[in-house]
Amino acid sequence: MSDYAQYLQERDQIDGLLNQGYSIKSITENLSGAFVEFEKIIGSTITSETLHILTADARKYFSVKLIHR
Amino acid sequence: MADLRTNIAGIESPNPFWLASAPPTNSGYQVQRAFEAGWGGAVWKTLGDPILNVSSRFAAVSFNGQKVAGFNNIELITDRPLEVNLKEIYETKKRFPNHAIIASLMVEPRQEAWHEIVKRVEEVGVDGLELNFGCPHGMAERGMGAASGQVPALVEQQTYWVKEVAKTPVIVKLTPNITDITATAEAAVNGGADAISMINTINSLAGVDLNSWNTIPHVGGKGAHGGYCGPAVKPIALNMVGECARNSRINVPISGIGGISNWQDAAEFMLMGSTSVQVCTAAMHHGFRIVEDMIDGLNNYLDEKGISSVKEIIGKSVPKYSDWGDLDLNYKVVANINNEVCINCNKCHIACEDTSHQCIDMLTDSNGNKMLKVREEDCVGCNLCSIVCPVDGAIDMIELPNELVPMTWNERQHAVGAVACEIDIASK
Repeated sequence: MSDYAQYLQERDQIDGLLNQGYSIKSITENLSGAFVEFEKIIGSTITSETLHILTADARKYFSVKLIHR
Repeated sequence: MADLRTNIAGIESPNPFWLASAPPTNSGYQVQRAFEAGWGGAVWKTLGDPILNVSSRFAAVSFNGQKVAGFNNIELITDRPLEVNLKEIYETKKRFPNHAIIASLMVEPRQEAWHEIVKRVEEVGVDGLELNFGCPHGMAERGMGAASGQVPALVEQQTYWVKEVAKTPVIVKLTPNITDITATAEAAVNGGADAISMINTINSLAGVDLNSWNTIPHVGGKGAHGGYCGPAVKPIALNMVGECARNSRINVPISGIGGISNWQDAAEFMLMGSTSVQVCTAAMHHGFRIVEDMIDGLNNYLDEKGISSVKEIIGKSVPKYSDWGDLDLNYKVVANINNEVCINCNKCHIACEDTSHQCIDMLTDSNGNKMLKVREEDCVGCNLCSIVCPVDGAIDMIELPNELVPMTWNERQHAVGAVACEIDIASK
């Protein structure tokens, strides 16, 4: 898979979670890329999802979403 | 015709083109010939205790047929007694009262030594002083030149000593052989410098002879590091000028030096903050008359831009020079190959395939002709293909509309850090 195709896949995953009402809770960046933890709170129910973002473009993408949330 | 008159820290000259302190300004004969040719000023070859030179002093680096892409020298400061130089400075100034003569000075780091030479040099009517804290070879081994110029405290102290007695503007010439030139530039300002100039030459060894195994140049079989200058050092010098020009604590004018070979180079240095420019290698390569093209070229450039005075371009590019962390991560350019112009040499494909991002495809069109095409989605806009392309106009780097709003690294890190802070607070 090309970097671009992988970026599109990761971007869709990010958009998918945001569209479901998740927001970014934490970001851990290390040698393996970025681990972005998303969280959704409905009443007393908290659900979370973590995406492992590998591509540089997707790391830019979630950052823009973070700044403009 | 634009006004090219220049005033740097009170030193006036008919144009911004000065000869740098170096072999071309060794004598009154040379400086007067330079002024006749049109140079606006000259920084006299460094005065100090007369030195002894070696024979075999210069070497040049040629690259792909380009002679003197870089130039290396192991010559020291003046080897003539001070009185001889002062007499010739006096005569030259008398004959060319409207041209700038700046005396480059280098003495051991003692207050009395600086006071003595400043007083004696100013008596003959120089327009300013340039303190040589940059010469990287020979003199540095004796505690002068770059040896002084690499220590901010010594730069400040010696500048201060000079300013205690100087009546003319004091320019401090800085060495590039240091990690951060703004540190020594600030020291010069703190010492009272009226202006700074940069860069002096860069520590260098021009080469090694593969037959004799001697260094180039060598002195009877032995070599020593020299100072590198010429076109190859221009990007290094331009960055250092820019770094000083955009530093608010370095609030004095700059005289730019380093590989300036034509009017375009000069204009670039001025846009990046130089009030005047100094030239050496180009004059040594082509003679004093190159200044004619420099003057004409700068004049025409200013006229075409509708600019009446060269002073108006000084520093105009400085606000555009920033830190990497302030650049927009979402700005995007991609390569576009113009197949009408492309000669299908495949250099772009090879460069991209071997050393960049593998985004240029070799295709065959419907007529069976070979063609190259960029996959824009995979192109990171590195510029390499357009750099290696031998044909002007065959590859353009084009801006793509921003898909995402502008975001710098610093903005991103601030936002990412803020998330972490929120978590810390929430967990307590």
